[in-house]
Amino acid sequence: MAATEEYFDLLPLGLDPATKAVTAPSGASKALHAELAALNNLHRSILTLEVSPQIPPPPIPVNPKRSAQITKLKDGGNDFYRKGKHGEALKMYHLGITMALGRPLWEPQGLVREEVSQLFANRAQAHMALQNWAEGAVDAEASVEAKRAGNAKAWWRRGKCLLEMGRLDEAHEWVGHGLEMEGEEQELLALQQEVVARLEKKSQREEAVIKAGGEKA
Amino acid sequence: MFDIDWWSLALPFGYIFVLGSSLYVFSTIYRKRKAAESANLAPWFPPHLQKEIYSTLLELDADKDRKTKVPEGVIRAALLRRAVEDIARIIQVRQAKQALNTLLQRGSVGEDLNQRFQRAEKEIEEELKDVVMEANALAPGWGQTIFQSANEIAANTVLRSRIDNIQNKAAAEKEWWEKRRETIQNDFMKELEEEPVKGSAKVSSDDDAVLVDSSTPITTPSKKKKGKK
Repeated sequence: MAATEEYFDLLPLGLDPATKAVTAPSGASKALHAELAALNNLHRSILTLEVSPQIPPPPIPVNPKRSAQITKLKDGGNDFYRKGKHGEALKMYHLGITMALGRPLWEPQGLVREEVSQLFANRAQAHMALQNWAEGAVDAEASVEAKRAGNAKAWWRRGKCLLEMGRLDEAHEWVGHGLEMEGEEQELLALQQEVVARLEKKSQREEAVIKAGGEKA
Repeated sequence: MFDIDWWSLALPFGYIFVLGSSLYVFSTIYRKRKAAESANLAPWFPPHLQKEIYSTLLELDADKDRKTKVPEGVIRAALLRRAVEDIARIIQVRQAKQALNTLLQRGSVGEDLNQRFQRAEKEIEEELKDVVMEANALAPGWGQTIFQSANEIAANTVLRSRIDNIQNKAAAEKEWWEKRRETIQNDFMKELEEEPVKGSAKVSSDDDAVLVDSSTPITTPSKKKKGKK
């Protein structure tokens, strides 16, 4: 240990007297600047802690305040969705997602995954109700990224959005993955059949076009 | 008495001397080279930036000439960042260990790689102990939980960057879809205009299929446009 501590490169660091942020001269490496940005962010979130001394608490138990707010936003969004106010629902879900992703980094990531996957899946649904297929597809993908297994709805929603946009090959591949993850989910199977039917139709049509072209020539 | 004929013994003695000195020279040179090699072994990990930042901050704090003291929060944050980087390194070492052992058994990799790896393992162990000690010095009892927190931070950072990557695609996807929808709509209109001109029964029935397919996404978004306005 002594050997490692004897010597290190002194970095050209400074301290902003007002904000207490650690700074480096502009000539320093990109990695150092990125690291300092992360450090200052972490410092800011440590400063918001209400415990004394200000050290991040262990991941469990979680501060219940934020969880309650997120649940509230989600329920509010669901209410709006049920009443058909999709735009309002989108706003609620968006706030909820911002809040869930804004959790301090030392809080359990499993919890974040759970919350975020639900919120993204719901936002995808609201987008789909407004026929914003592109945004719906992106949100559903984010939901799946947060929670891969046991998230059949999100798998289905992205598949549906891709289908609606006519991206049949992508939809086929995506729903195939979904079926691998979720097993024989009824809705996914139905969607896959629909995609396959559309693909067949498309290839038939292309063949017909080629034939027609050949006849003309 | 024996009369030793030193001159006739010179040859064997000379032989022994040359043999001994050449062995000695070989062994010293060999050892020196080996030592130099192991000293010059490339480190497994790149320099520990977080650790350097932490040490620099401590130095700044200890420097009495400076008027601005480094706040404790900054030092704690720096130590936590250091712990996060350590977590990443531990994961890397653990993952590499199995693969490396298999490769070594098969003889696919050299011994120097193994030496580098073992040194990295030792270093990371020392580093962990060091961080725990530092944490306990900054706040009593923090050493027990700092790596739990660091672990969650590492995992959360990965999760957020992945989600950000996906969400950043949204604008481009939307733009693509708007364009695509327009072309579909234009094609649809064209086909509507061409429809009466075409006579052949077979071709028009194929076109019908096109109409049914493309009309579902087209008509509905236009409805939505009206609805929004």
